[in-house]
Amino acid sequence: MSDTIQIERLHYRAGKNFEIKELDLHVPSGSIYGFLGPNGSGKTTTIRLVLGLLRPLSGRITVLGLPMPEQHARVLGRVGYVPEQPHLDSTLTVRELIDFQAAFYPTWDRVRAEELVQRFELDGGSLFGRLSKGQKAKLMILLALAQRGDLLVLDEPTDGLDPVVRRDILSALLTYVSERGATIFISSHLVHELERVCDWVAVMDNGRLITEAPMEKLKQGTKRLVVFGAPAEIVNPPFRVLTRESANGGGGENWVVGNWEPAMTSYFEGVGASVRDVIDLDLEDGFVELLRSFRKGGTGR
Amino acid sequence: MIARFRAVLNSQWKWSRLIVVLGTVAAFAIPLVSLQGAARADRGALQAQELLRAVQSWGTLYPLLATALGLLMAIAAWAPDHRGRHIHALTLPLERWRYVLLRFGAGGVLLAAPIAAVLIGSSLAVLTATLPPGLQGYPIALAVRFAFAVFVAYAVFFAVSAGTARTAGIILGVIAAVILVQVVAGMANIDLNLFGAAQTVLLQGPGPLAVFTGRWMLVDV
Repeated sequence: MSDTIQIERLHYRAGKNFEIKELDLHVPSGSIYGFLGPNGSGKTTTIRLVLGLLRPLSGRITVLGLPMPEQHARVLGRVGYVPEQPHLDSTLTVRELIDFQAAFYPTWDRVRAEELVQRFELDGGSLFGRLSKGQKAKLMILLALAQRGDLLVLDEPTDGLDPVVRRDILSALLTYVSERGATIFISSHLVHELERVCDWVAVMDNGRLITEAPMEKLKQGTKRLVVFGAPAEIVNPPFRVLTRESANGGGGENWVVGNWEPAMTSYFEGVGASVRDVIDLDLEDGFVELLRSFRKGGTGR
Repeated sequence: MIARFRAVLNSQWKWSRLIVVLGTVAAFAIPLVSLQGAARADRGALQAQELLRAVQSWGTLYPLLATALGLLMAIAAWAPDHRGRHIHALTLPLERWRYVLLRFGAGGVLLAAPIAAVLIGSSLAVLTATLPPGLQGYPIALAVRFAFAVFVAYAVFFAVSAGTARTAGIILGVIAAVILVQVVAGMANIDLNLFGAAQTVLLQGPGPLAVFTGRWMLVDV
């Protein structure tokens, strides 16, 4: 499977306090790719680099097979983008904004746009500035979907919205993907939401990529182990130790590990320890443990 | 590209229609008002002097109107993009210089209305007036000069307005540096007249702002 977005050894600096360093990212074509990270981790900056809004210091960005930002005009004709903050002019009406956008995209789907206006219950005569937060989000999604792009880049599209609107938007996105086979790159800190829809996930913190993996692999490979009798130093474990701390009483330890497979319990037997319990973690727990491990000095991946 | 231009023109019309309408009304009215009372057939030599003074006095309004129109249209062209931090414009699928040209062109088309109003208003004024012997009306020359002035003002303010806060800072910095050098030169008794030099370069022909200076006469000898 080819990659719709490829980022290699990307370096970008914004002021003295923030930089993205040595970033590698591969978004497979046709995937719904979740881009997770706490606020200020660099998700929006990465998205702006992908779209050619910012210029990297070094590294390579390829989107839909074309280099960015050099080919931004060609690439953006095939990319639907929904930014974190509403970016449209507040003095234009819903209808005027749709007409404006339609003029710039040769692939614009008028029928789909009308369908979505009805489905999202948008009033064509309302000024964008007077719409509710949910209606603004719906309109921006509508504009991104009706241009029939091969890639949708969504930056926290449902942040701060009520559950009904979130469901409407996610449902429209899933319908689009199933019909068009498009790739969706969606950033969020709402872990549960991404867990439901994404098949790939990447986690970023402080300008660094912590991990990038298929959703199932990440979820199934991240476990909490209750371990007894483990030596202080362990050498070349086949899994990744994210955190290790004493359990409350009983002499055991709680380990959170990544890349786990059931057969790996034999490793503990080999070092004179035993695994008493293997507990599944959901994506949110795994995300939190990954961040804790990374911030304590882990290397990620 | 025509559809894109139409879309940009529509949005820009919405943002600046009040400026265009008021500017057009003013541009139509000024020449008519400046020749008010000139429809009498009994004017002698003295009245001709009087008329020329009145026309010259009203003429100062043309460069002012041209500057105001250029400034306000340039601000209106960029204000919504500035408010949205240019995200929408930068994510449209076209080269940035093309987008700038679309915005500039749309403003230029809208400015055609006040320019046409000067031409129509001054033609009407000259046609309905009885000019003293020796005097002639120059409605086309006045309208062409007004058009130049409007486009020079629009181009200058459009370029400044398109910039970021950093660009504005650089421009202000250059002006401040010129003032500082002039002050220091004055204190050190150095014969340096930067303001005079700037004025010569900018305002005297063929300086870029020379079109704003001199007399703006609808009627002249």
